[in-house]
Amino acid sequence: MVIAAVALVGLFPAMYLWLYKLGVVGTLSCKIGGCEKVNTSPWAIFLGQPVALWGVAYYVLLFAVALAGTSERLAADRRVPIALVTLTGWGVLFSGYLTYLEAAVIHAWCQWCVVSAILVCIMFVLSLLELRASRK
Amino acid sequence: MASPNARASKKQFTFLLIAIVVIGAGALGWAATRSTGGSEAIDPNLPLGTAQGFLMGSPDAPVKIVEFADFECPACAQFAMLTEPDIRERLVKTGMVSLEFFVFPLPMHPNTWSASNAAYCANEQGKFWEMHDRLFYTQDLWNTQSTSNPGKKMMGYATDLGLDMSKFEECFDSKRHYPNIKASGAEAEKRGINETPSFIIGGKKYAGSIPYDEVKKLVDAELVRVGKADTTAKGAK
Repeated sequence: MVIAAVALVGLFPAMYLWLYKLGVVGTLSCKIGGCEKVNTSPWAIFLGQPVALWGVAYYVLLFAVALAGTSERLAADRRVPIALVTLTGWGVLFSGYLTYLEAAVIHAWCQWCVVSAILVCIMFVLSLLELRASRK
Repeated sequence: MASPNARASKKQFTFLLIAIVVIGAGALGWAATRSTGGSEAIDPNLPLGTAQGFLMGSPDAPVKIVEFADFECPACAQFAMLTEPDIRERLVKTGMVSLEFFVFPLPMHPNTWSASNAAYCANEQGKFWEMHDRLFYTQDLWNTQSTSNPGKKMMGYATDLGLDMSKFEECFDSKRHYPNIKASGAEAEKRGINETPSFIIGGKKYAGSIPYDEVKKLVDAELVRVGKADTTAKGAK
């Protein structure tokens, strides 16, 4: 349940950055100042699509899987925590790569990307705990 | 069947999700519609003036690079600071290339209008490129995130560049170039440009802050295409 809630929270910063890429949101609200630099850099595009759009798709998928895991039918199904660990593990790796780019290549920080990276790490830990609990 | 505790927990969970959605959607709605401070609003009925490119280098150069950029766009500043000095020094000064700059004000950058206005007014005194450089190198000091009164900064830059301030102020305050700035943006759209910076080299479009080596490759290919490949051998690296 908590993972689904965190995934839903994470969906909004991703949507915010995606709406910015679409031009719906004007200037990014950014206390540390580098959001726009990061989001207009060449690394803000991945496989031809904005990273923010990938983020939206990722959080929607994660939310759907986590929500499915709360149903009575799948509550005892170990495939759900395994899928969550796989998804969030991938998320941690990709967020780590993006954070490296911010620190070492772009030399600017996007606070919303950092928030997303933290949420992904939290969900990864929660998924591991859920997987461990499912073994019992 | 689920126990009463499980049902209550499920109910709380549903409320939590609804609360997240309501708060998140509200925040997004606010972000999408919020005012950008005191920055000026551009009249949607502003008439279209004349699209004007600002040329650097010989108009007879064998390769023409046309740039569409927004003064407030960080990637454009990155290009201006990292790539353009090499282009000027190695390609424009050697006569291989001419660089034509069009402003392309994007809707998410309200202060770009002031900056473009300052560049057009500086151009009236023959200092477009000096103002162009100053604007890109100091972008973080006057952009929408930094100030709602970019005009004050523009006046400071004009003073620093030694412009005739009475003429500059008259031009800046009159906003007489706004229709031309709008026309420049319309020109970009007409040519299918939808992001900044974008470049047209040899009739082909390229988007993003291209590094110098890539620009050089494109220029060399264009020199071969127009039959001036010998310029490449003698020219800059």
